Amino acid sequence: MSRKITIDPVTRVEGHGRVTIHLDDYGQVKESFFHIVEFRGFERFIQGHPYWEAPVFVQRLCGICPVSHHLAAAKAIDQIAGIDPKDLSPTAQKLRRLMHYGQVFQSHALHYFYLASPDLLFGLDAPADKRNIIAVANEHRDLAIKGITMRRFGQEIIKAVAGKRIHGILAVPGGVHKTITEAERDYFLDGTNIENIDTMITWTKEVIDFMKSYHEKNKKMLDEFAYFPSGHLGMVNDKGELDLYDGKLRAKDHEGNIILNDIPADLYQDYFSEAVANWSYMKFPYLKTIGRDKGWNRVGPIARLNICDSLSTPLAEKERQFYFDFYGNKMNNSTMYSHWARLIEMLHCAETLKMLLHDPDLLTGELVRHGTPRNKGIGIIEAPRGTLTHHYEVDDKGMITHCNLIVSTTHNNDAMNEAVKWVAQHVISRQGSITDSMLNQVEVAIRAYDPCLSCATQALGSMSLVVELYNHQEILIDVRTKN
Amino acid sequence: MYEPKTKPATLVIGIGNKGRNDDGLGWNFAAFIEQMRLPKVSIEYRYQLQIEDAYLISQYDRIFFADASHKKIEAGFEISPCNLSDQFYFSTHSQSPESILYLANALYQKCPPAFTIAIEGINWNFEYTLTETAKHNLNKAIQEFERVYY
Repeated sequence: MSRKITIDPVTRVEGHGRVTIHLDDYGQVKESFFHIVEFRGFERFIQGHPYWEAPVFVQRLCGICPVSHHLAAAKAIDQIAGIDPKDLSPTAQKLRRLMHYGQVFQSHALHYFYLASPDLLFGLDAPADKRNIIAVANEHRDLAIKGITMRRFGQEIIKAVAGKRIHGILAVPGGVHKTITEAERDYFLDGTNIENIDTMITWTKEVIDFMKSYHEKNKKMLDEFAYFPSGHLGMVNDKGELDLYDGKLRAKDHEGNIILNDIPADLYQDYFSEAVANWSYMKFPYLKTIGRDKGWNRVGPIARLNICDSLSTPLAEKERQFYFDFYGNKMNNSTMYSHWARLIEMLHCAETLKMLLHDPDLLTGELVRHGTPRNKGIGIIEAPRGTLTHHYEVDDKGMITHCNLIVSTTHNNDAMNEAVKWVAQHVISRQGSITDSMLNQVEVAIRAYDPCLSCATQALGSMSLVVELYNHQEILIDVRTKN
Repeated sequence: MYEPKTKPATLVIGIGNKGRNDDGLGWNFAAFIEQMRLPKVSIEYRYQLQIEDAYLISQYDRIFFADASHKKIEAGFEISPCNLSDQFYFSTHSQSPESILYLANALYQKCPPAFTIAIEGINWNFEYTLTETAKHNLNKAIQEFERVYY
C-alpha cells in the first residue's frame, strides 16, 4: 500500500517547517516536499512607513539574525539618503563590520554547538533523547561550555556596538550613531572579564581540528549524504576574497564554472527572479539566464567557500585550502561539509574581529555622511545563512512604496528540497518500515543548511515542524510532530 | 553595560513581548522592580530564555522568572518554586526556566533557588498596552513579591 510520511516539526532549525514524503504501493518514494507553512507579511506592511524606520522595523523578522536584517536594510537606506556603501566613513564601515562579523560568529556558534553537534557527537541514528544540547551538556560538558561562551562573545560584541544583544540599533541613514569606548574595546581584548578574542581564535581552531578528525573517520558518509549538484552564490570583494559585509555577487555551477560574474548588488533584479509553489509560502529564487529548473543556487558557508578565490585572514585561508585538499575537488556539493565550512567562517570572523578591535577608527571619527536623496536603495549582505537582499523604493516624501526581501534561506529552498529528496530516495525508499532514525536523517539534511524559516517567510507567532506520510490514495497514515 | 565582577544576589528576568498586549506582563513586572532600586537586585529582559542564559543565572544566588500566563489563575498571579528539568524544547527560540536551571547545574554546577512568577493575561494582540485585568494582576503580583521576598 502506498503511504505518505510527515515530519512536523523539523527540529533544531529556526522556524516552522513540514516534510511530506509520498510512497507508492511498493514503498518507493514518488515525491517529497519541504513545506514552509508560515505567514508572509513584512514586505507588505512596511509600505507606508518612513524609510529610516526600515533598519529598525525589519529586525523583528528574526531573533537569531536581526543584525543581518538591520545592516542589509541600512545599506539600502544609505542609498536612499544618497550614500553608497563605499562612501560611508571608515569609522561607520568598521563599526558595522564589527557588528556583522560578531553576529556571524555567534550565529555559527549557535548552529554548530546547539543544533548540529548532537548529530555529530551521537550519530545520525542516536535515540531521540540524545538529540539535544542537554545531552551534549551531560556528556561533553567542556564543549558545551565553550559553545555557550563563544556565542556569548559574539553577542557581547553586538551589545557593545548596538546597545542590546537582540534588536539593538547601530546604523542610521548614512552611517552609525555612536562609536565604542576604549573600555568597551578592551573588554574583548584583555581577558579580564570574559575570555578574549585570542581565546576565541584558539577555541575555533580546536573545534576545526575536531571536525577534521571527524571527517577522516566518516569521509564516505559525509561525501555522499545528501550530495547533489547545484549552483553556488555568494559575495566577494574586488580581490575575489569572501566579503560578508559588502561586495559583488558571484555564482558558480557545480563544476566551478562562473555563471554570475561579480555583478554589483544594485543589478540583482536583472539577473534573479523568484518562482512560487502552491505547497510552500517560501519562494524559489533562480538565475534568469539559466531558468527555473537549474538556475537555483545554494548559499551560506559551503557556497561561499566554493565561490571565493580566498579568505583575507591567514589562519582561515590555511583551513580553507586544507578543506578543499581533503575534499579532493575545487567545488564541494556535499551537504554535510557545511558544518566544516561554517567553522572555517567562524575562524575568519574571529580573526577579522581581532583586526577590527585593534583599529583606532572604532573609537573616533566621522559617524554620518549626507548625500542627495534618491528613491531606491538595494542592500545585499552575506548573512550567517547566506546572501540576503533588501530592496526599498520610496516616494518623494520618503515613505516606503515597495519592499522586496530575498532572504538567505529562500535561496536554499531548492537545496533543502533536494536534500530531503536524497534522504527519501536513499534512506527511506523501499525499506518497508519507517524508523525514527530514517526520519531523523531527513532533519539532519535540512539542518545542515541552518534554515531560518521565520526569516524566509517573515513569519509571525510561534513556530514548529511536522513530517507526514501519505499512501497512494493520498490518505495520511503517519505523522511526526515536534512542538 | 557589562556584567559586574561582583554580582548582586538576586536576578529578576522579565520574559515576554511588550508589543503583544498582556505578553508584556513579565517585562512590566521587571521594570517595576527595577524602578524600586532594591539592594542587590539585578534585572534582565528577554523575549524568550535562551541556552546561554544558563551562564547568566549561574552567577546569582536567587532567580525570579516573571512571565505572562495564558492560563486562568484564581488569584491572578502565582509565585512557585522552579525545579530543574531536562525536558528540552525542540527549537533554540525558547527554553523553559526549568531547562535553563538544569543546564546551569550541569555546566556550571550552580543551581540557585529559583521561582516562577506567572501573571495572568487575557489579550495578546499587537499593541503596547496592558489590559485593565492584567494591570490589576500585575499590581497584586508586585505586592506579594514585596511582602514575601523583600
